Amino acid sequence: MLTSIIDHLLADTTRISLPLFYPELVLCATIVLMLLVKIFPAGEKLHSFWLALAGSLLALGLCLWRPGLSQLATLERQELFTGMLVFDGLGVFLRTLLLAFLVLFLVLTKLTHLADREDGQDFFSLVLGATLGMCLMVSANHLMTVFLAIEMASVPSYVLAGLVKGRRRASEAALKYAVYGAGAAGVMLYGISLLAGLLGTAHLPTIGDRLIAGQGAAGPGLDSGVLVALALAAIMVLVGLAFKLSAVPFHFWAPDVFEGATAEVGAFLSVASKAAALGLLIRLVAAAVPNDAPTHLIAVDSVRAQLVASSSVELSTFAPHKFLSIALAVIAAVTCTFGNIAAYVQTNIKRMLAYSTIAHAGYLIMPAAAAAQVGGAGMRDPFAAILIYAAIYLFMNLTAFAIVAFLRNSLGSEEIADYAGLWRRSPWVVVAMVVTLFSLVGIPPLAGFNAKFVALYALVAAGGPWMIALVVVACINTVISLVYYLRVAKVMIIDTPTDEAETSPAVSTAAASYLLVTTLPMIILFLFPQRLFALAQAATASLFG
Amino acid sequence: MSQIHWETAWFYVFALLACGFALAVVFASSIVRMAFYLVLCLASTAGLFFLAGADFVGAMQLMIYVGGTLVLLIFGVMLTSQAQFVKMRTGSGELLIAFAIGAALFALLAGVAMNVPEWRSAEGAISASTPPHTATPLAMGLLGARVDRPLAPDAAGYLLVFEIVSVHLLVVLVGAAYLARAKRRRISHD
Repeated sequence: MLTSIIDHLLADTTRISLPLFYPELVLCATIVLMLLVKIFPAGEKLHSFWLALAGSLLALGLCLWRPGLSQLATLERQELFTGMLVFDGLGVFLRTLLLAFLVLFLVLTKLTHLADREDGQDFFSLVLGATLGMCLMVSANHLMTVFLAIEMASVPSYVLAGLVKGRRRASEAALKYAVYGAGAAGVMLYGISLLAGLLGTAHLPTIGDRLIAGQGAAGPGLDSGVLVALALAAIMVLVGLAFKLSAVPFHFWAPDVFEGATAEVGAFLSVASKAAALGLLIRLVAAAVPNDAPTHLIAVDSVRAQLVASSSVELSTFAPHKFLSIALAVIAAVTCTFGNIAAYVQTNIKRMLAYSTIAHAGYLIMPAAAAAQVGGAGMRDPFAAILIYAAIYLFMNLTAFAIVAFLRNSLGSEEIADYAGLWRRSPWVVVAMVVTLFSLVGIPPLAGFNAKFVALYALVAAGGPWMIALVVVACINTVISLVYYLRVAKVMIIDTPTDEAETSPAVSTAAASYLLVTTLPMIILFLFPQRLFALAQAATASLFG
Repeated sequence: MSQIHWETAWFYVFALLACGFALAVVFASSIVRMAFYLVLCLASTAGLFFLAGADFVGAMQLMIYVGGTLVLLIFGVMLTSQAQFVKMRTGSGELLIAFAIGAALFALLAGVAMNVPEWRSAEGAISASTPPHTATPLAMGLLGARVDRPLAPDAAGYLLVFEIVSVHLLVVLVGAAYLARAKRRRISHD
């Protein structure tokens, strides 16, 4: 008996799980290699950047070629490591996105000289370690992996926020991020333990099955006490996710952390961290919402129905996924509105971008609310909308933060007012910034429009009063956001600098070409969005295998 | 005298100790005292775990939290404090708000937990007379094989988690060393 179990485990691990886990393994090996190389005298001279870049390129290559993006639609859903992780289209899509971002991010840090030769291995270990955690987040299939992956992504981020030593603001940002992060993680862990205790399992698909069948703690049909406990558990898990997504009311860390941390780290936190959290949100929503019967109602026997009806009218029509949908809709609407309104009064560009990422978190959560409402196979389109938005958002925010980082190096300032007269010094940087800002607003000739369009289309397709209200909120917010994004463009183009203006270009040729590489996709993806749309559709196809 | 239910008695002893020392952590003002009360609180919690038949979790609680983390914490505080140990002073307003929030959260959590029917009944409870044998299945589970329930669809072994956490700890160690290292130069914008 025991030998057969062990043989089966061995075969499962080495033949199925490990080959599909190669990208993450490469990241692990790169981390160890970067640290070990420094033992040798020759290794001391090697800048860790090259090792990190080689490792992440190899990981990206493995992710692209081994199952391949082209086979995304026909990918078979497989559980890895006896159910700890899941391998499916969604995981492949988001892992590719994360690793592609990692490569772009590493190049950015090299161009802005964020890490020198002495500290390089530490910095790149932290970045790769965080990315490893994010890769696990998007393929988590078990509550334990969910929690561990979030911590693996978060803890290195706390250090990254305080990367620049000797700056009070950076240290303050790191400490605030760590303390709030620990609090959010504690709440989430409590929610996870409630969930596992109520349903008797931590395996996400089994949790979904038990929610549908109403088994677990209460036997057939869910008792009202169990339902309340489940709702509480869901809220507590959402707190942890909302913190990672910087959604209101757990956004308060974002402005301080983004202002204190360097702009490059800001890009990492706002793009990679958010994409991973969205992947996890999709996984959890897909697990919690019944996906075979769209209008699934919990079967209650007559005795319990009377009991429920007498205790509360609402509970008789209560279904967990309706609760989830409304909770997500409210969070999305409030997050979006708050972020946009608070961004108005900011004078520091990083702080403004921080509120902008909060607002975008709102837009990104909206399709998840729609998915939770429709349920069933109808969840695919909203989820695909999130993936499309996340992919386009990568380029928008990376470019914005990269410009801020390049300008910090040449101007020595991150105040919006100091960007005055930039048009005369480096018109192309201004063009890149304007393209990015307009794309963030969602104005047509740019990819940001497609992102917003698919997100809002998913809401309209879902229908219902909550979703229509969300569409209205999103539209009003887009108009609000136009003003503060345009203000930056106005300062750069129209305002004249107070002191004598330099005429030398503000950024180097390498930096300018980097900006070209990250800005062009915003135009290309607007003109030719079919490939990305098809990929996102294919990625969500195997979600409900 | 044979009527005394010793498990219940011990439960009350450990529960009272845990709650009492938890309150002591909150009301103490010296950070070293806080850490020491936390040691006692977590040790009492370990006692509760033993009573619930979770001998492995109880042992881990003692070894990792009481024996490792907190001793490290106390040493860290004692070695790094330059003058007097840090005193935390909280205003009465802060105390009041914290008390209100804490009480509300406690009422919510306790109320919710008490309303779950299965958690109220004694059916699933493990009697202390049955010898605990959780170590072997747990160890096998950490190696990836769930010998306790090999055929269940959700029987997930913990091999990946067990291994990947070592990479996480390595990265975190590197991060801690980076932050603690004396800075070589000063980069300042403010």
